[in-house]
Amino acid sequence: MNTTAQKNELIFDYSSGNLGEAKSLFASMYLYLNTIAAKKASVFDNMLAQNFNELEGIEPKKLRYTDCIKTPESLKQNKNPSNNPLSRLIGDFNNIDWKTIYKGFKEFNILVNDNDSVKLIKMDPGTSVPLHSHNGKEYILVLDGSFCDEYGEYNKGDMQINDQKIKHNPTACNSKGCVCLSITENDVVFFGKFGSALNLFTFIKSFFK
Amino acid sequence: MENAKIIELIKKVTEERNEIAFSEIFDFIAPKINAYYIKNNLGIEQAEELTQEVLSTIWLKADLFDPEKSKFITWSFTIARNKKIDFYRKNKKNDINEDDIRDFLYENNKTNDYEIESTIKKITQELDESQKKLIKMSFFEQKSHKNIAAELEIPLGTVKSRIRSSLNKMQKHIL
Repeated sequence: MNTTAQKNELIFDYSSGNLGEAKSLFASMYLYLNTIAAKKASVFDNMLAQNFNELEGIEPKKLRYTDCIKTPESLKQNKNPSNNPLSRLIGDFNNIDWKTIYKGFKEFNILVNDNDSVKLIKMDPGTSVPLHSHNGKEYILVLDGSFCDEYGEYNKGDMQINDQKIKHNPTACNSKGCVCLSITENDVVFFGKFGSALNLFTFIKSFFK
Repeated sequence: MENAKIIELIKKVTEERNEIAFSEIFDFIAPKINAYYIKNNLGIEQAEELTQEVLSTIWLKADLFDPEKSKFITWSFTIARNKKIDFYRKNKKNDINEDDIRDFLYENNKTNDYEIESTIKKITQELDESQKKLIKMSFFEQKSHKNIAAELEIPLGTVKSRIRSSLNKMQKHIL
């Protein structure tokens, strides 16, 4: 499965500001945890900045430099964050108000203004997700521990992108279990023994969104 | 303006809150930022409002800029881009403050703009003029593939495949 191109696309879209809030947050985490991804983003940022540097300037008509020294209050508040703003996503996972979906599998939804949904997923060691595929794309980033599926093993900072063509059966394979950040564009489609019940569950759940 | 000269000016802004140094930075960068917003289809008034926000941020957060790590032009471009993103996201009622995240990522990014210069050079050498133009229109000016096709009078499929092949070429160098 070669998703390198898709991963790069996410990085390029992040650099150009094309992403919605959900994917933007996801990409931030990816760049934070994965040095290679951060390097790719820097390359692309610098390429776009070259275009910026070559732009023929258009003088602002009214704006003077003195207008910019008067700092708006809204900007002052954000100055130099002392704490890690991502700590909620990577901090102490025991302090999160997890919602148990089934034994060994918990979720926590993150509120964003986007059609894509973002959630944290926590799987206890050995827990599996039944074989499923996805109507839309699903992005998974490992924040802690690791999981394996038919395509390989994914450790902290690794990302997996799944679409309609991919059926998989992920299992938390590390003794620590696994915490992931997940973005789904659409609900997943389950197969196998419990498949129809789980599909029905997602179907019913959709009424309460 | 040379990067070294701007770094000197920024230092004056950070250390002395020197307004004359800031006015020189303003004269250099404000027209580019304004032009960037106009290229990105914002109205003249909106472009100036956002340009003001970017310059205010530069004035306020000059101490965040790390000249050892990044070029001023790249740093200011990312601020301008972020202000544009925020402008389109009007409703800010969410769990996470993106601006804080961006500052944090910048401070914790181990990549150095000067170290990746050779990679960028290789990529720009490999892309031909039409490919560079498509990357610029698609990612810098954020035009849709459909609009690019109409503007360049080439089929939509060609736009898509050319962008894809340019990205593939880039990927070879950044893996």
